[in-house]
Amino acid sequence: MLPRCTAQRVRKLGILPAATPTIFDLRDVCKEYQMGEVVVPALRGATLTIQRGELLVILGPSGSGKSTLLNIIGGLDAPTRGEVLFRGEDLAQYSEAQRTQYRRKHIGFVFQFYNLMPNLTAEENVELATEISDDPMNPAEALDMVQLDDRRTHFPSQLSGGEQQRVAIARAVAKRPEILLCDEPTGALDIATGKVVLDALNEINRRIGTTLILITHNASIAGLADRVIQMRDGHVHSITANTDRKSVEDLVW
Amino acid sequence: MVVSAFHKKLFRTMFQSWGQSLGVVMVVLCGIAAYICFHSAYLNLSLTRDTYYAQNRLADFEIMVERAPETAVFKLERLPGVRQVRKRIVEDVNVDIEGVNEPRVGRLISMPARRSPVINDIVILSGRYFEAGEQRVAVVSNQFAESNGLALGDRFQISVDSKKYSLRVVGLAASPEYVYMIRNVQALIPSPERFGILWVPEEFAETALDMKSACNNIVGLVDNPEDLDKILDEADKVLDPYGVFAKTKREDQLSNRFISDEIKGLGVSAKIIPTLFLGIAALILLILLNRMVRTERTQIGLMKAFGYSNWAVGFHYIEYGLILCVIGCVGGFALGQWMAGGMMKLYVQFYQFPILESRIYLDVLARSMGITLVFATLGALSAAIQAARIQPAESMRAEAPSRVNRVWLEYIPVLWKRVSFTWKMILRNISRNRFRSAVNCFGVAISLSLLLMGFFMTDSIDFGMKFQFRDAQREDVKVSFQREQGRDVLYEASRFPHVRRAEGLLEYPFEIRSVWRKKDIVVIGIEKGSEMRKVMNFARETFSLGDGGLVLAESLAEELQVGPGDTVTLEPLMGRIEGEFEVPVRAVAQQFLGTAAYMDHAALSRMLDESYVINSALLRLESGSRDAINKTLKEIGGIAAVTFNDDAYQSIQDTLGKSMVITNTVLLIFAGVIAFSIIYNITAVSLSERQRELASLRVLGLSTQEVGGIVYFENMLMGALGLLFGVPMGMGICALLVEAYSNDMFRLPFYIDRSTYVISILLTYSFVLLANLAVRRKIQNLDLVEVLKERE
Ligand SMILES: Nc1ncnc2c1ncn2[C@@H]1O[C@H](COP(=O)(O)OP(=O)(O)O)[C@@H](O)[C@H]1O
Ligand SMILES: [Mg+2]
Repeated sequence: MLPRCTAQRVRKLGILPAATPTIFDLRDVCKEYQMGEVVVPALRGATLTIQRGELLVILGPSGSGKSTLLNIIGGLDAPTRGEVLFRGEDLAQYSEAQRTQYRRKHIGFVFQFYNLMPNLTAEENVELATEISDDPMNPAEALDMVQLDDRRTHFPSQLSGGEQQRVAIARAVAKRPEILLCDEPTGALDIATGKVVLDALNEINRRIGTTLILITHNASIAGLADRVIQMRDGHVHSITANTDRKSVEDLVW
Repeated sequence: MVVSAFHKKLFRTMFQSWGQSLGVVMVVLCGIAAYICFHSAYLNLSLTRDTYYAQNRLADFEIMVERAPETAVFKLERLPGVRQVRKRIVEDVNVDIEGVNEPRVGRLISMPARRSPVINDIVILSGRYFEAGEQRVAVVSNQFAESNGLALGDRFQISVDSKKYSLRVVGLAASPEYVYMIRNVQALIPSPERFGILWVPEEFAETALDMKSACNNIVGLVDNPEDLDKILDEADKVLDPYGVFAKTKREDQLSNRFISDEIKGLGVSAKIIPTLFLGIAALILLILLNRMVRTERTQIGLMKAFGYSNWAVGFHYIEYGLILCVIGCVGGFALGQWMAGGMMKLYVQFYQFPILESRIYLDVLARSMGITLVFATLGALSAAIQAARIQPAESMRAEAPSRVNRVWLEYIPVLWKRVSFTWKMILRNISRNRFRSAVNCFGVAISLSLLLMGFFMTDSIDFGMKFQFRDAQREDVKVSFQREQGRDVLYEASRFPHVRRAEGLLEYPFEIRSVWRKKDIVVIGIEKGSEMRKVMNFARETFSLGDGGLVLAESLAEELQVGPGDTVTLEPLMGRIEGEFEVPVRAVAQQFLGTAAYMDHAALSRMLDESYVINSALLRLESGSRDAINKTLKEIGGIAAVTFNDDAYQSIQDTLGKSMVITNTVLLIFAGVIAFSIIYNITAVSLSERQRELASLRVLGLSTQEVGGIVYFENMLMGALGLLFGVPMGMGICALLVEAYSNDMFRLPFYIDRSTYVISILLTYSFVLLANLAVRRKIQNLDLVEVLKERE
């Protein structure tokens, strides 16, 4: 059984006109960190639109503002200036509580470090997400999607790095988020394991239609994307559309 | 002084986790303050007591007789082991002071005409001693004179038998015999305004009490106090013809008993309370520092890689403990010294010492610092050892994943499935950190116990007081006569204006024996169908006295090892009749005050070869007639004492009430500090350990409240468990207190009011809530992005 397509649900709810595929519209987003007396600019006017259902890869050197951008999109952080329009609403104006609600309803996060609860089993880690969601997947189903249904009762310490990351993905997807944000999800994994994890993410984007934003250091992963964004010095340097989306097996590492 | 980088790190960590550091400091501070306070008071009081006794030659023994001639006293002095004796005339008399409505009780004590260093000497505080040839003069106990408006040169009247004498105050004094100014055990609390000592010239006492060349009280010193029992037995033989009715060793002397028990209690408190506190401080340090070593594993490895020795790194953590504890200890010095001063002020209300010093004892300070260092080292030791053991190379790798303990509930899948994830996390976290959870529980339990303990004392004494002065003793006033009286006097009393009812009471001293166990007691004869005296136990079961046989106070029955159905021997102590009586024990009843035995009045009269004899009258009055009856009683001779039931009740309530408020406040603060420090520290440690978990929950979209909930619920659960253990633990401590405080003078009822449980539990739980409130800020300030960026 396939989960229903998010786009269809959104259309049915009538929130978005079916014709507008833009889900995010970032305009001149700036973020500055105050470090004592010094102001460290992390984003210096990033402008970008994100289409519903696309797989977006963000590339760029270390310190170019990729994570900062992702955290702002995900509502973990608020920008110093600029607009972050999510379906026309400006996230930049959200309060802490509103951002919490926003994350709860719409966002799934996957980090380089898996951040699983060490004292909950794989399935319970997924339940963590489903219990706070209105229309969640069955936890078993989510684990099945990442091919871990046989490891449901294992604790994180009993799983390999790649498996833990897949549990983290299952946890992120289980509440059926509209956007899945992945910050270097394969950064801590070897090639083979990394491919398994990417495959899982790719499948989610293709089969459920979840919008997926993926930060990576690895330019070859860009082959999976619909569009590739290059960040440099806190702004979007270039956007390349990818006409020929590759599958994970075809990636040259 | 150059502060090394190592120390800078130490101070910064201390400052960053200032809440936790403060917790350790506070617990140590309370413990040391308690130690200094109790131990100084212990030393102050012991020192004052011992010098006072020595300087004024407090007697080793006191023998009360009906009337002994001088020759008998000489014989006594020649007994082997007896160093010196002194004959006295002692009698309680009714004192009439102008301007004071109520009759007061004065104890007349004869003193030699010429000042000499006698046994049980007095200290003249103002005025002077008698001069040669003076007769109608008295040196009066200081507080009695002051609180009744008697100044030097003033006159007051005493009535002895039916004669009245007017005495002039020439001096005010204190005596080691009456440091605790109490007339008898029943009074429990000194009331120096109602009861005073009147030292009068021997010659006057002899005439007034018709004791020419005789005495009724002999005090003495012995060479070796260990021989006292033997000497008193010998003395008994010498004095037997003259009606010995009480032999008291110094250790049983009423005032001394109260002081020495108090001093002993201080000594025990000075050991237990600080140990408890420092033990808890060590536990907190243990948890705090173990966590710190785990957090700083990589840094420790790095330090070692630079060339720091294992010892240097390990000592770093011990130093952390030492610094916090020493700060607490020094704070404790100050607070303790201040509290010791306050304690001495409190003691001045109870004890009539001419001097009461509160000194600073350097050795006590040194010792408390020593104890602090030991406990600090103990608390930090395990962390130091762990730090010393860390291998530099290994520490750079990620720590081996922690083993997960499954909770027993998981083995019942039906139930486990129903547990929400919040509770799953809580239960697993508790089972992962069993030791820490146990300490958390323990802290709450201890806090609750401390509160229960404090309130229990109030409850118990209150219960005892109501028992004694409301239920067992129901007269409005007890009029004690100097001599035994017959039915006519009672009849007369019943016809006094405002007297609604009068009953007779006979209190007579006996030696009570069972096999070889014996004790001097008072047998109280209660009239049949008495409305004013009831023999009952704490459960208010009344015991009938029948036509004979004894009801024994529980402590007496325990001491004699007899129970209902056994037979005891009674031998009258006053010389009016000879012989022994075999009397059955009817029942045993718990008593709040004193060690008495109760008997039917008629049967007791018969035993004394009388048809009807009393030495007190119990009166029930019309309400509001107190002043009128006082006026009447002042006119009548032959009265030794007038005791209003309400006065006894009120004075105990007032005096104990005041000191109880202080004690309870201190205990409340102690309990709060313990509960707060333990819970706050453990929660903070557990938070820092789980930052990452909690941050990822926040990322998933849980609000601060929801994430906090996991932490709070865990604390609430452990708090509730702690309460569950705390109640029986507190009750156990109270039961121990009952044992520790009960003696043949009084027995604490084991009674804890229901409201006490409720209040203690609510207070303890509010400490738990308060600690959680403090932790909430930490959760709100959790920096999600920062935490998640860190490597696992
Ligand atoms: N919490 C912070 N405080 C101060 N500076 C920060 C913080 N987070 C990021 N930065 C700075 O912002 C810039 C962008 O960081 P980041 O978005 O993490 O880069 P990337 O993920 O592309 O490596 C860097 O220069 C970094 O040092
Ligand atoms: Mg980054």
